[in-house]
Amino acid sequence: MSDFNRRELLQMTAAGALAVGAGARPALAADYKPMFDVEKGASLQLLRWTGFIDQDDKQWKINTDAFTKATGVPVTIQEVSWTEIQAKSGLAAQIGSGPDVIMGFYDDPFIYPDKLVDVSDVCEYLEKKYGGFYDVAKSYGYDTENKRWIGLPMGGPGAAVTYRESWLKEAGFDSFPKDFDGLLKAARALKKINHPIGLALGHAVGDGNTWCHTLLWGFGGKQVDEDNKVAIDSKETREALKYAKALYETMIPGTASWLDVNNNQAFLAGQISMTINGISIWYTAKQKFPDMFPDIRTAPQPIGPVGHATNFNLFSQSFIFKYSKYPNAAKEYLRFMCEREQMDPWVTGMVGYVTPALKGYADLPIWTKAPEITPYRDVLKDNHPDGFAGTPGRAAATALNDFVIVNMFADACAHGSSPEDAAKSAAAKLKSIYGS
Amino acid sequence: MSDTTTPEARPEAARPSGSLLRRALDRPNVLGPLLAAPATLILLILLAYPLGLGLWLSLTNTVLGGTPSFVGLANYAQLFHDPTYLAAAGYSVLYTVCSEGLKLTFGLGLALLLNRQFKGYRAARAIMLLPWVAPTVLSALAWNWLLDPQFSALSWLLIKLGLIHSNIDFLGQPWPARISLIIVNMWRGVPYFAMGYLAGLTAIPQSLIEAAQIDGAGPWTIFRRITWPLLLPVTTILLSFSTIWTVTDFQLIWTMTRGGPLDSTQVFTTLAYQRAINGGALGQGAAIAISVIPIMLILAIVALRSTREGK
Amino acid sequence: MDRRAGWRLWLPLGLMLLFLLLPFYWMVLTSLKDRTELLNTPNPWWVFHPSINSFVDLLTQTQYPRWFLNTLYVSVGATALSIVVSYCAAFAIVRLKFKGARALSTAIFFSYVVPPAILFIPLAEVLVKLGWFNHLWALIPIYATFLVPFCTWLLIGFLRSIPRELEEAALVDGASWPRIMIKVILPLSVPGLISATIFSFTLSWNEYLYALIYMFSSDNKTITVGLTTELMRGDVFQWGQLMAGSLLGTLPVVLVYFFFVEYYVAGMSGALKD
Repeated sequence: MSDFNRRELLQMTAAGALAVGAGARPALAADYKPMFDVEKGASLQLLRWTGFIDQDDKQWKINTDAFTKATGVPVTIQEVSWTEIQAKSGLAAQIGSGPDVIMGFYDDPFIYPDKLVDVSDVCEYLEKKYGGFYDVAKSYGYDTENKRWIGLPMGGPGAAVTYRESWLKEAGFDSFPKDFDGLLKAARALKKINHPIGLALGHAVGDGNTWCHTLLWGFGGKQVDEDNKVAIDSKETREALKYAKALYETMIPGTASWLDVNNNQAFLAGQISMTINGISIWYTAKQKFPDMFPDIRTAPQPIGPVGHATNFNLFSQSFIFKYSKYPNAAKEYLRFMCEREQMDPWVTGMVGYVTPALKGYADLPIWTKAPEITPYRDVLKDNHPDGFAGTPGRAAATALNDFVIVNMFADACAHGSSPEDAAKSAAAKLKSIYGS
Repeated sequence: MSDTTTPEARPEAARPSGSLLRRALDRPNVLGPLLAAPATLILLILLAYPLGLGLWLSLTNTVLGGTPSFVGLANYAQLFHDPTYLAAAGYSVLYTVCSEGLKLTFGLGLALLLNRQFKGYRAARAIMLLPWVAPTVLSALAWNWLLDPQFSALSWLLIKLGLIHSNIDFLGQPWPARISLIIVNMWRGVPYFAMGYLAGLTAIPQSLIEAAQIDGAGPWTIFRRITWPLLLPVTTILLSFSTIWTVTDFQLIWTMTRGGPLDSTQVFTTLAYQRAINGGALGQGAAIAISVIPIMLILAIVALRSTREGK
Repeated sequence: MDRRAGWRLWLPLGLMLLFLLLPFYWMVLTSLKDRTELLNTPNPWWVFHPSINSFVDLLTQTQYPRWFLNTLYVSVGATALSIVVSYCAAFAIVRLKFKGARALSTAIFFSYVVPPAILFIPLAEVLVKLGWFNHLWALIPIYATFLVPFCTWLLIGFLRSIPRELEEAALVDGASWPRIMIKVILPLSVPGLISATIFSFTLSWNEYLYALIYMFSSDNKTITVGLTTELMRGDVFQWGQLMAGSLLGTLPVVLVYFFFVEYYVAGMSGALKD
């Protein structure tokens, strides 16, 4: 084990040597103006999710190295797959030890708000400089009860429609429909020419949740009202379920077991004509499926009877634990990573997989580099957070993790329940979660 | 225990002389506890103590990172009204009983086949261990491919053979998913049973079987009257250990279905993990996990009893 | 003895082995396919354009060699620790019969029923208090918690099968207990020790949950954790490399079994004897 420690030591001294070489006393590079008073001898551990696209991790590392070079603060990055982040951050919160900074998802900071460092100063600074956060981003970082920021919103790996243009044309549509009615018509026409669509209905953290929530909200349904009272058993929900059932009947068989990876594979195998996904399908095709690539198009998610977009996306924010010995260094690191000099190459490297939480980054050149990337620029507009219309927190997190909404849709679509029964049983589950 | 000599009962004169320490180390009541101490310490610090903490957690309403307060048995009481928990308990039992039964049957069959020295028996014995040896997380991923709704090579084969017309949705419907997981669990556990039974068979004196053959007993009679009764102690041991692993199995189900579709494949451990870690309800998760321990204790007692009586 | 084993042996045996090996055949195929062929193929049971790119990428683009060494280090360490500790405990319980030996053996056996899937949260608190968090070597005593009960139990059974006369003779000759433990009983216990070793090595090699949860630095990843955290990228999995990594990771254990399988059977059967 001494071997491993030596290696760590080597890394650290290398970083230190670099900083010393740069001339500043403990650390700072001459032309670098930190916003925070970085602690002497600080070092940071970051836990983040493995990038959905390998360029993500690579660029993040390059940016981090630039931070180390500028400030002399070495940063150890640990990556785990995105579905395991919760376990590790939860454990860290519980035992009061672990990484200084974690990039988590959804309601994570609201499960243990008392354990987190107030990052209002960074957030307010970034907000001012880059045109403010999208509303949904704010709800994933701002603790309304205590009027402070506990998470720094990073962005959402956004979901949009990914489809095969030639098949859509063959089915009689020139462009992808903009509303739910059109979507159903297109799906039926596509099924008729044997190119069905496919949307995940299994316990898929991203791809199952996104479209189900979008449908639910598009019809005006919601799991709880503003006071966190269960409101799922409503006419709107039943309408959404009826519609989903009709849509499900046009889908390729087997979507009830789909996890996040399945729709990508089915699409790239040419088995489905359309799905709702991040940009990873288009990106993988660009690299590995040159024949299919020119035929792939993307479009914003259609709009429901409520008349505006009601998207739901994965969302990631960074938070700092109070047990960290170097909270200022951590804040400085996050600020650094969110500045344009770092954000631009990061988002560009991963061709817009993560849409930044700050509105100002809608003008990055990458968004208009290909028309297929553009829809992902706007995915965070008109979003609701999970647990809508209630407040983020433990109950909302539990409902999301128990897949209450996805299971309700799966129940009505694939497992033979009537919309009434599906909504009722979801209401029962939500009541036991929200305790009302 | 059949032996009656106790280590203390030996001629005083025979004791080696020497320093006090050496003489002390030669006393079973000193050396014994000393030798047992490391194992005991490891288990006390890293198992018993955390278990105690877990028990305490289950009696509180602790949420991740929150301050706990004592709630008594409320978490347990709540479980009885929780349909997801009851369903998980039901599937845990089904999963365990079915997969153990299958593992036992096929493991024994495989052991009987391998219990002779045909050409290549060594290779066959080593190869058959693969499922037991390969990391579960990764072999479960390979199974996920074989059972994929779109790319299932099994469905493909069945379609080519004309047995079915469209892909089987192995993991997307509650019952096919439940059965698929049982089969995969069996797949992983058969080698363990086969190995244990092979050891048990080796321990059966050949003379017994030959004597029976001379008396004109057929293979079935020999199996029923000699082999099987002699394998009973092995069976209990294999079964109890394997059952413990199966009841506490987590990786396989978590990798393949995450408890879906519709919570139909939730078991104690996946639900406990989901509630405690993903949902943050540590107290409740601990209660779910600890509710398994009584069942396990009963199993352990059964195992212990039968091995001792076998002596 | 039965060298002319005909179809009655090979048919059922063949079918069983087919079932047991199916997923491995699939792993081999997948590791040799490129992504295009994985998703579009006229026959999923064959590979038409085999390539070893996945293996090359795995060994050059990822830290796989390091994960491999980490796993080896932890597995060897945990196995060695568990075997030594278990042998001592089993010897004390079976041969020395000190006061409380019986209660201890029961307690050790019962400690097997604790499910790790929930133990890991309270255990983490203990590790933090001990300052063992995120140290690769900490996995060694942690793995011992699930290895020691089984190994001790197995060795207890094995040691019981060794005739008591042996040590009685040695005692009469004036040998001390420590000497008997090392010079008389230990050599006779080798088959039992080999079984316990193989068993422990396998379980340590494949462990996932503790390694995933308790190690924070990338340098400390084991094979299972490394593969699943770095090759399952969001909704795009590197199937070829994942399967290549599984195969390479399974290989050492298979080799161990191939050479020691006879001892394993012998050791187990010794433990199971009355």
